Amino acid sequence: MTRWYEDIVCDEPHVLGSHSFTEHEIVRFARQYDPEFFHTDREAAAHSVFGGLVASNLHAVSVGQRKMVDALFAEEKRLRSLGQEPGLSGPSPGVNRMRFQTQVRPGDSVSYTLTVTGKRASKSLPGWGLLFNTIQAVNQRGELVYEAELVGFSKRRDYRMPLNLRVFQSLMRLPVLRTVLRPK
Amino acid sequence: MSRASGQRFFEDLAIGETIELRRMTVTKDMVVGFAREFDPFPFHLDEAAAKKSLLGGLAASGWQTVALSQRMLVDGFLSGIASLGSQGFTDLKWKKPVMVGDSIGGTATLVDLQGSEPDRDRGVVTIALDVRNGRGEPVMSMHLTHRVATRTETPDLPAEPASTTSGDGDKR
Repeated sequence: MTRWYEDIVCDEPHVLGSHSFTEHEIVRFARQYDPEFFHTDREAAAHSVFGGLVASNLHAVSVGQRKMVDALFAEEKRLRSLGQEPGLSGPSPGVNRMRFQTQVRPGDSVSYTLTVTGKRASKSLPGWGLLFNTIQAVNQRGELVYEAELVGFSKRRDYRMPLNLRVFQSLMRLPVLRTVLRPK
Repeated sequence: MSRASGQRFFEDLAIGETIELRRMTVTKDMVVGFAREFDPFPFHLDEAAAKKSLLGGLAASGWQTVALSQRMLVDGFLSGIASLGSQGFTDLKWKKPVMVGDSIGGTATLVDLQGSEPDRDRGVVTIALDVRNGRGEPVMSMHLTHRVATRTETPDLPAEPASTTSGDGDKR
């Protein structure tokens, strides 16, 4: 969430919202990114292992990303309306594990939930904390569509840069030294 | 090799086979189009905001890089095999942002094959994806697992029983 690292509570599920998938958008996504016949051709899909048209798993995941971004923006707005300064989330380094379980079919409504399961200060990015997030997507029948373990970054409010890093940073502002000291 | 005449089955796959993925250039329209629908952070939508961000310029959503890699994998490999869909992936790493104008390509290597005993009609292949930009720098890597039908008992099964959708056995 757009909260400071220090304010993020572990194991508290955040409901991100749900999305109803239409056949039109399933086919449109798949034609562009995942054109296997069971995602693009209703007739042929009826004779596939799935017995009908199913969405690309990456389509379901991309919608999950949208739900997460919307929730971050909403949280930012909420905090500002309370007169608080929201935190900052950084780009994700990756996903440890993604498990696809139940296919999404036209007309299905998928609900997304995000839970921070763990956090620690980042060693590689001073001033930032690492978040271990689990996203669960569940359809209207309560069946798991996918579950993912994502890693994210969140800025630390109470971070104070150690003196040696502060000295290094101000030295880096000098153009001559910057070319000498620049990493790699 | 990967798109020889006719469809390939699980038995036709071998560990170590490497597929060269076709290159594609990532345009501003592609980046903004995907971001508007799925990842509307300012650094994926707006050049000025992107310049000020950690990414240093307009960059594709990481999920768009995954989706484009999937497209390259379908075109270069999955469309030529008896694919039964993906199980998931592990160790997805976004190593470097994909910037507007970058061309991406890479390789897919078959690193593991597992026949699944209860379902003799399919196996699972693990694919290591290594996606790189035009300067040869790695931008993304991951390990995907994908179900593939076996050649055995493909012909003349009785018509599938009505309305078992999550079942097995039904092949194209």
